[in-house]
Amino acid sequence: MIEIDRVSQIFQTSSRKDHLALSDISLTIEDGAFVSILGPSGCGKSTLLYIVGGFVSPTSGLAKMKGKAITGPGPDRGPVFQEFALFPWKTVLGNVMYGPRQQGVRAADAEAQSKALIEMVGLKGYENFYPKELSGGMKQRVALARTLAYHPEVLLMDEPFGALDAHTRTRLQNDLLNIWERDRKTVLFVTHSVEEAVFLSDKVVMMSKSPGRIRQVIDIDLPRPRRRTELLLDPRYQKYVVDIERMFDDSDEPASNP
Amino acid sequence: MKTNALTGDVLLGLVPIALVIALWQGLVSFGFAPATLLPPPGLVFARLLQQLVTSTFHHEIAATLIRLFGGFSIAVILGVSIGIAAAANPAINAVVRPIVRVLAPLPKVALYPALLLLLGFKHESKIVLVAADALFPILLSTYYGASTVEQKLIWSAMAAGTPRREILFKVVLPAAMPSILTGCRIGLVISCIVVFLAEMITSTDGLGHMLVTAARTFQAVDMFVPLITISLLGLILNGLLQALRSYLLRGFPEA
Repeated sequence: MIEIDRVSQIFQTSSRKDHLALSDISLTIEDGAFVSILGPSGCGKSTLLYIVGGFVSPTSGLAKMKGKAITGPGPDRGPVFQEFALFPWKTVLGNVMYGPRQQGVRAADAEAQSKALIEMVGLKGYENFYPKELSGGMKQRVALARTLAYHPEVLLMDEPFGALDAHTRTRLQNDLLNIWERDRKTVLFVTHSVEEAVFLSDKVVMMSKSPGRIRQVIDIDLPRPRRRTELLLDPRYQKYVVDIERMFDDSDEPASNP
Repeated sequence: MKTNALTGDVLLGLVPIALVIALWQGLVSFGFAPATLLPPPGLVFARLLQQLVTSTFHHEIAATLIRLFGGFSIAVILGVSIGIAAAANPAINAVVRPIVRVLAPLPKVALYPALLLLLGFKHESKIVLVAADALFPILLSTYYGASTVEQKLIWSAMAAGTPRREILFKVVLPAAMPSILTGCRIGLVISCIVVFLAEMITSTDGLGHMLVTAARTFQAVDMFVPLITISLLGLILNGLLQALRSYLLRGFPEA
């Protein structure tokens, strides 16, 4: 379980004015839940993810993982970034093996596990390629495999499909759900796409910006395993999407946002 | 196909060099310069081949190479470690930055008389001068490369369980490698120039010394031999560094 307890984050901008990126955020994420954080750009949703990752310390408040305060990054929380962040000097296999080797797994075992993961994300045969030789979608598959390789309890996904074209994005969403169905890790998924959030999640956390606050938390009560073709026709799915979009539209109106 | 393109490139690169030699030959043939002062290229290359098998010439080349490598290696080791340390640690950066600002634009060759007095006429004074001159481009490009490493590479490694102190070697150093090697390339060219210059100013051996001795006694052919030799050495060393670069950066997009 992840508990975010009254977290605020203040950044100093270049003009030395304080910018309140996150204001008094409290949120609890249950084990095994797929939770999306949805909001416009600049609402601090990535910052919130980095705080859970331990990459950024909150200005005030506390984030806890299994009851213990998060003070830094750790292999129990595995990030997947929009920019892939693969090590360019390592091959696909080298990238995926990095985590297990850091965890002290013997080279031969790490290699076997990594090869299995590479196959699982659909990249068998690409083990000895360098990231530069892969397309964006393939790079993100490698990044996912690299993170899964050290068995994190929580996946922290920071707009992971944001840099991909629509077709690749859809395929990766489906594949992510398939992988997730197997072991049901806790996933914290940052996105600005309403459809993506509803399609993937058990719970959607809607944020508003300046300052970044939680606007509403919506439970997505749709059956699993989810199939895209069925879901797109499902009126319940459509209603979630439309309702959430309406709420964001309302907040853009000056009258309700003085 | 690929090797064909490569040989094509090499052949194309030889054309301007052939033109320079042709121009040189033309100057001599049409009498623009007396052959005693500007010997024809054929004569110079013949003397070079003749010299290449003599042990005195080997000694001169060896002296120059020892100084070149000694100085360049010190510059690489110091430049990379100081550059990385400054990028990683604000306190070190606060100390290094003003020193670099003052020393980088200083013409290091002005230190040479002092180095001669302190270290003598042998290898040491020249090695230190080469190191001092090659250090700054390597240091500055390492610092630049190490301080622009993508934050998320570091985060990815830390989340995978890499302790903070190992991040420098496992992420920052390899990620900064393209910049480091660019700095090394500039440093190597500077090393070639400076070692020759130092030997020309004051030395008892080495290619630069050979040139000055020949020039002072109006032996024009002998004067051009060390000049051609240092150019060839520079060409070979640069080629080796380039090969090392393509190997080390085989995964990087723009290498």
